[in-house]
Amino acid sequence: MKASRVIRALAIAATGALSLSGLVAPADAATRSTVVVHESNALTSFNGGTPDTNLVTNTDVGYLTGMGFNYYDNKRNLIHNTTFGTYGTVKVSGCVFAVKYTVAKGRVWSDGTPIDGVDLLLSHVLASSKYSKDAGLGDPGNANVNPKFYSGGYGGPYDSHIVGNPTLSSDHMSVTLCYDAFQPDWEIMGPGPAPVHTLEEMGVQHKSALVTSSADRLADKAAFLADFNSQNTAHLTAMGDVWSNDYNITTVNNNTNPLLFVGNGGFLVDSAVSGQSVTLTKNARYNSGPALSGKVNTVIFKFIGDSTAAAQALANKEIDIYSGQPTADGVAALQALKGVKIIGGTSACFEHLDVRIGKSANDGDTAYTGPFAGMTQRAKDLRTAFLLAYPRQEIVDTLVKPVNSNAVVVNSAFLLPGQAGYDASVKGSGVSKFTAGTQTTRAAAALKLIKKYYPKAKAGSNSFTVNLLWGAPSNTRRANEFAIAQYELGQVGINLTNSGGTSGWSGHLDESKYDAQFYAWCPSTVSQTGTNANFQHDGSNNHIGYNSSAMDKILKKLEAFQTPAQLAADYTAADKLLVSDAVTLSIFQHPAVTAYNSALKNVKPAPLTPNTVWNYWEWSY
Amino acid sequence: MLTYLARRISQLIVILLGSSFLVFNLEAIAGDPLEELKTSSDPRKAQMIIDLTRKLDLNTPPPIRYFKWLGGIFTGHWGVTRDGQSVVAEISQAIPTTVRLVLAATIIAILVGIAIGVVTALRQYSRFDYAVTFISFLFFSLPIFWVAVLLKQFFSIGFNDWLADPQVTTPWLIFFGLLAGVFWAGVIGGDLKRVLTIGSVAGVSTVAILWALSVTKWFGSPTLGIFFVLGMGAGLALLTTVASTGLGNKPSRNTAIAMVVLGGVLYYPLQALFAFLKTNYNGWIVVGLAFGAIGVGALTGFFFAKEDRKPVMRTGAIVAFLVGLLILLDRVMQEWSPYVNSDFVSNRPIPTLGQSNDELVAQLDSHPNFWMGTLDSLLHIILPTIALTLISFAGYVRYTRGNLLEVLNQDYIRTARAKGLSERTVIMRHAFRNSLIPLTTLMAWDFAGILGGAIITESVFSWVGMGTLFRRAIVAFDLNLLMGVFLITSTLAVLANLASDLLYSALDPRIRVGNGN
Repeated sequence: MKASRVIRALAIAATGALSLSGLVAPADAATRSTVVVHESNALTSFNGGTPDTNLVTNTDVGYLTGMGFNYYDNKRNLIHNTTFGTYGTVKVSGCVFAVKYTVAKGRVWSDGTPIDGVDLLLSHVLASSKYSKDAGLGDPGNANVNPKFYSGGYGGPYDSHIVGNPTLSSDHMSVTLCYDAFQPDWEIMGPGPAPVHTLEEMGVQHKSALVTSSADRLADKAAFLADFNSQNTAHLTAMGDVWSNDYNITTVNNNTNPLLFVGNGGFLVDSAVSGQSVTLTKNARYNSGPALSGKVNTVIFKFIGDSTAAAQALANKEIDIYSGQPTADGVAALQALKGVKIIGGTSACFEHLDVRIGKSANDGDTAYTGPFAGMTQRAKDLRTAFLLAYPRQEIVDTLVKPVNSNAVVVNSAFLLPGQAGYDASVKGSGVSKFTAGTQTTRAAAALKLIKKYYPKAKAGSNSFTVNLLWGAPSNTRRANEFAIAQYELGQVGINLTNSGGTSGWSGHLDESKYDAQFYAWCPSTVSQTGTNANFQHDGSNNHIGYNSSAMDKILKKLEAFQTPAQLAADYTAADKLLVSDAVTLSIFQHPAVTAYNSALKNVKPAPLTPNTVWNYWEWSY
Repeated sequence: MLTYLARRISQLIVILLGSSFLVFNLEAIAGDPLEELKTSSDPRKAQMIIDLTRKLDLNTPPPIRYFKWLGGIFTGHWGVTRDGQSVVAEISQAIPTTVRLVLAATIIAILVGIAIGVVTALRQYSRFDYAVTFISFLFFSLPIFWVAVLLKQFFSIGFNDWLADPQVTTPWLIFFGLLAGVFWAGVIGGDLKRVLTIGSVAGVSTVAILWALSVTKWFGSPTLGIFFVLGMGAGLALLTTVASTGLGNKPSRNTAIAMVVLGGVLYYPLQALFAFLKTNYNGWIVVGLAFGAIGVGALTGFFFAKEDRKPVMRTGAIVAFLVGLLILLDRVMQEWSPYVNSDFVSNRPIPTLGQSNDELVAQLDSHPNFWMGTLDSLLHIILPTIALTLISFAGYVRYTRGNLLEVLNQDYIRTARAKGLSERTVIMRHAFRNSLIPLTTLMAWDFAGILGGAIITESVFSWVGMGTLFRRAIVAFDLNLLMGVFLITSTLAVLANLASDLLYSALDPRIRVGNGN
């Protein structure tokens, strides 16, 4: 043993001395040109358009590799990308409502093919059930068989209101869509470009290498147009097969068909390791959107499910942008990191509390007979008392602020803080009834209302029971929300319970045995009509059986054209109804945190998808 | 024997069917896959619910759906996940990852655990025994996610920070010196004088080595070179000879020395071969080299020994293999400086997570470099392996220690000693071998558990293996995926149970399998 150590010591000393001469000082770290973005879920496909693959990571990669007519910024504004093209409503004879999209001249795909109106036609194939049926591609509404283009685009307002096929202008640069009625959300229903010549090359010609001749590529595009116009079932089926299946790969290397990755975004897919990462490199031909800063040559999406692991990877400089919904401890740990900036913000989701009024509009089981049933004065008073005593401010202060110090209580069912019209709605809806004073004064007011019907009501009297339905028990924050609410409501004599059913809770939303429910809505777009389903008497998301003709009337207005001022007035009126009927209160927006390498400039997290990556062209070192 | 096997296997099938039926139905009742969609405010909500219901066959009641699923299993259709991926594809992608992650850790845990177990048994009730028992149980009882967080903090983030100016400061020199001194003194043992001598020699030499490495800035660009390879090879040859035959066995000693010398002679020619392998990597060449080394070692032993050839050949084979390993390691280490200084590593070589460096992977695609790829993989696997090993070797330590102590107290050991066998022969050949028999049960279980994955470890280190699939399946109520993973792991578990019973009877002549009559 001794001998071995001596030998090793000698050998090591000798080697050390020898290697001294050959030592090279480590080079200074080269200027960084890579941004590594953390995603909590792994990529499953390079086509985020099918019902199976419409997942955040897939669509984020799609956002960097493809640029269309508009995008959301970090303040929920829809920005027109005029570099790519312009769009607007036009008068077309014989059409109720028409929108024209024009691609700017000179835009090119990454293989050099010019982009024009033909590239906008695929969107119609992906969203019109009528086209799918007419072209023999299958009925998307059929519950047993997938359509040939297995698209998640069917079934929306585009599908139900589009008239005929899009009209291509004679110079092929514009496409005009005709709807059978005014579409309040027309701006987010429009087409996006797709490199249709590559679909033709892969699906019909079975090519697996880029086509070098530009004349051939233009011929392929013309072939697509011919197939589209003649509804060539065989060709479209072959292309649908490619579109639906061939993009569902998670490994990309030199052997992967490069035709799959022709795009017009600032970056293009270079390689991918299944379950680990996707690497994108700069698109040398990019001219379809805002100019790149030029300092970033590579963007890598790295998939890390565990948030602590992601935070440590940030500390070790393995990732540059971390985003997630950490706990208060997690935020403290991030704040302690050197060379890391953090921005507190909100995600798209907001928590809300609904009170049951009647049988659910949506297959409700039995008639609701609990304390809140109906529109009688007693039910309204008890609902008001319940909402008054519900400790929203306390929940925000104790559970949300430690993560996002800017968090506030949300006071509108239609708009979120910061959105145009929110402040007006809060002022005009009379929601101050539920926000004025402190928890103590609000509880006192609630107790007074309850005493009208339960004279013996006092703290701990359990005068009546409210059965509250809420999310999965594994969610600690929701468990804490429930605990806080249970205590505070106990102070006004309400016995808050939760008799089972929290597992698979969403399946119980329509059950009348629950008097109230809290969970989150997660709108992914800003839509004029998106909330209608929540409060229309027959709305698919009206689980609480709210039935008000006044409300239906206001919501009906939202389906027609409204000026911004009219819109604000509508929302205020609707919120006012909800307050006076004591139906629902929003609680808070889910907090989100973005932490990033402080050397990286212009990271601006956004609440709507594509969240952090929305302004990737501005990133710079 | 055959009836026994048939009976056991039919039992296993019943167990598998019953347990899968239970798990399937419990999971189907436990959660609603449509949960997320039901609270969606998307205008296409109805269509989306139709799509998912169709895909997952949710309109069929779970018990009936189970039999549909079971029918699919026999025809190779394991269903699709929620995300529309084939369960078979997902699992066949996850298995290699999991094996890569867990196999090394399991083998290291077994080797280290048994080695430490043997030493603690031989030094029973010494301070070393108590210290090792304490430490192994400390790690055993720590939660892995916490161990992983600490490992990342110190050995990844901390180590990478330290690499910016890799100096071993005096307090650390003293600390490592003391640690090495106490450790080796404890392992070798003896009277006070011996303990002090060994402790101080080990401590001082450790300090000297670290000091030399630190002053020469070796840590900044660590390489082995032929001198390190030969020095460490000689050390390993010495250790192997001591454990295998004892230093007194002259042919064995000479074989070991010959293997080290041969390693030195072949060092430069091998570099040429490695340069070829760099771009034309073929795994079989490396495997062939390993077998070649073992063969050469055994052959040399055969010629050096005139009688009792087996132990000599064994020594030769082991030393040759180890020296070969050192030469390979040396080649991989030659990539260190270019790797660490590259743009994509930026002087932070130890990653906290992942299976490989993303940019390197993209680069290797067009510029293959087998050795740098290997270095990258090794650096990525090192922390999870340490974490898994730390929490699992305690079991082996305790089992080995207990078994060895029990065997050492048996009459035949006394007889062996009485007939004048050397202590080494008594322990290694008569006691140690027999003490390993009960360990086979444990090993069979551990190897079956490998494919179950390491649920938390995989998630913390962001590896997508079986554990990740299992976790994802439970979180998303992804029944087909869950059942696919469950089927693989439960089948292996029951087979391991059977295998350990059979192995036991093969190894221990006192045990016979039969129908129990």
